[in-house]
Amino acid sequence: MRYNEKELQALSRQPAEMAAELGMRGPKKGSVAKRRLVKLVVNFLFYFRPDEAEPLGALLLERCIVAQEEPGGFSISFVEDLSRKYHFECCSQEQCQEWMEALRRARNEIRKMTGKDPLEQFGISEEARFQLNSLPTTHGRTACIGSQLDVLD
Amino acid sequence: MKLNKRSMTHYALSDSPADHTGFLRTWGGPGTAPTSSGAGRRYWFVLKGNLLFSFENRESRTPLSLVVLEGCTVELAEAPVPEEFAFAIRFDAPGVHPHLLAADGQVAQEAWVKALSRASFGYMRLVVRELESQLQDARQSLALHRCVSQKCVASCSKPRTADRSAPGPENGYFLPRDRNPNGSVEERGSRPMGRDLTEWELQGPASLLLSRGQSPVSPETSCFSTLHDWYGKEIMELRRGWQQRAKGSQPESKQQDRP
Repeated sequence: MRYNEKELQALSRQPAEMAAELGMRGPKKGSVAKRRLVKLVVNFLFYFRPDEAEPLGALLLERCIVAQEEPGGFSISFVEDLSRKYHFECCSQEQCQEWMEALRRARNEIRKMTGKDPLEQFGISEEARFQLNSLPTTHGRTACIGSQLDVLD
Repeated sequence: MKLNKRSMTHYALSDSPADHTGFLRTWGGPGTAPTSSGAGRRYWFVLKGNLLFSFENRESRTPLSLVVLEGCTVELAEAPVPEEFAFAIRFDAPGVHPHLLAADGQVAQEAWVKALSRASFGYMRLVVRELESQLQDARQSLALHRCVSQKCVASCSKPRTADRSAPGPENGYFLPRDRNPNGSVEERGSRPMGRDLTEWELQGPASLLLSRGQSPVSPETSCFSTLHDWYGKEIMELRRGWQQRAKGSQPESKQQDRP
């Protein structure tokens, strides 16, 4: 599947919902945890070597499963192969919780899972879809209709 | 850059409803070789959220390409050959070439341009922000109307929309927030009614509202009835004065209507 690397690189530079240095371990057997700068931008999770400007890679978060692992750690896997897990180590359970919640929200699919379009009540037609992005966070980022979104979780 | 391509493919092929699908012709998209005629290659495109996938055909199980629709604009465009129904996806980022696409007809072209323009999370943030402010306005108006209908007699029909920005003095009922609400009214007592009342109105009702424990600057509390009472008092006093002067023989014109 072809894609434009520069498009994704540009996306990785957009303002992030969450960004932090975490321990990251790939899904391959025997892989070692490494420090990575992890950045959540819309429905992509980019990861960088801490001193580099361009991401090493990106995970599309549609249909992902986010699970608590050991305390302070979580994993991301995908429906088509649950055994392949990307592991992340946080500095606290609090940080871990924050990340898990943010990752679960970072999808196009939320509306489709619940079957309702939150914008319908405002008379917005189907074609103007609702996409979940940022919720009110402690970092003072843009708030959305937080109370409506609570219904979805 | 490493991508979880298998998951992406799975998502593209999954039965989750696509936001838009159709055949489009493409020139110079990622990995697209030019045709000899320059007419563009025709692929099956699937839009899901902010992701635009292309396939060789409708039955194909492997996406040919992916375009992530964030930070881009979609506009009608000139195709390399005289071609109708073309449009381009342009990115702000340096070094990213626009994707040129063409639909089969005008309806399809318009539908695609609309769907692609709205595909990004960025667009949705704008929509949500706009809705939130509309919701806020609607709530304020509703509260105001409730207040008016609860307390007042019929003649008050002037609809008042809550002004999001700082209310100006020309809107007679709203007080500028930095204005001293306890202005002395007695000094202005001789000011005739019906002429240039704005400033006077601002001073008087404010202190009355404050004395009743109501905020003079909140649209919910600057109710018609409170203001009516205020003006009514002034009128009564003036009326008393007239009556005394005229010794009861003068016709009265008690002004009840709000300007």
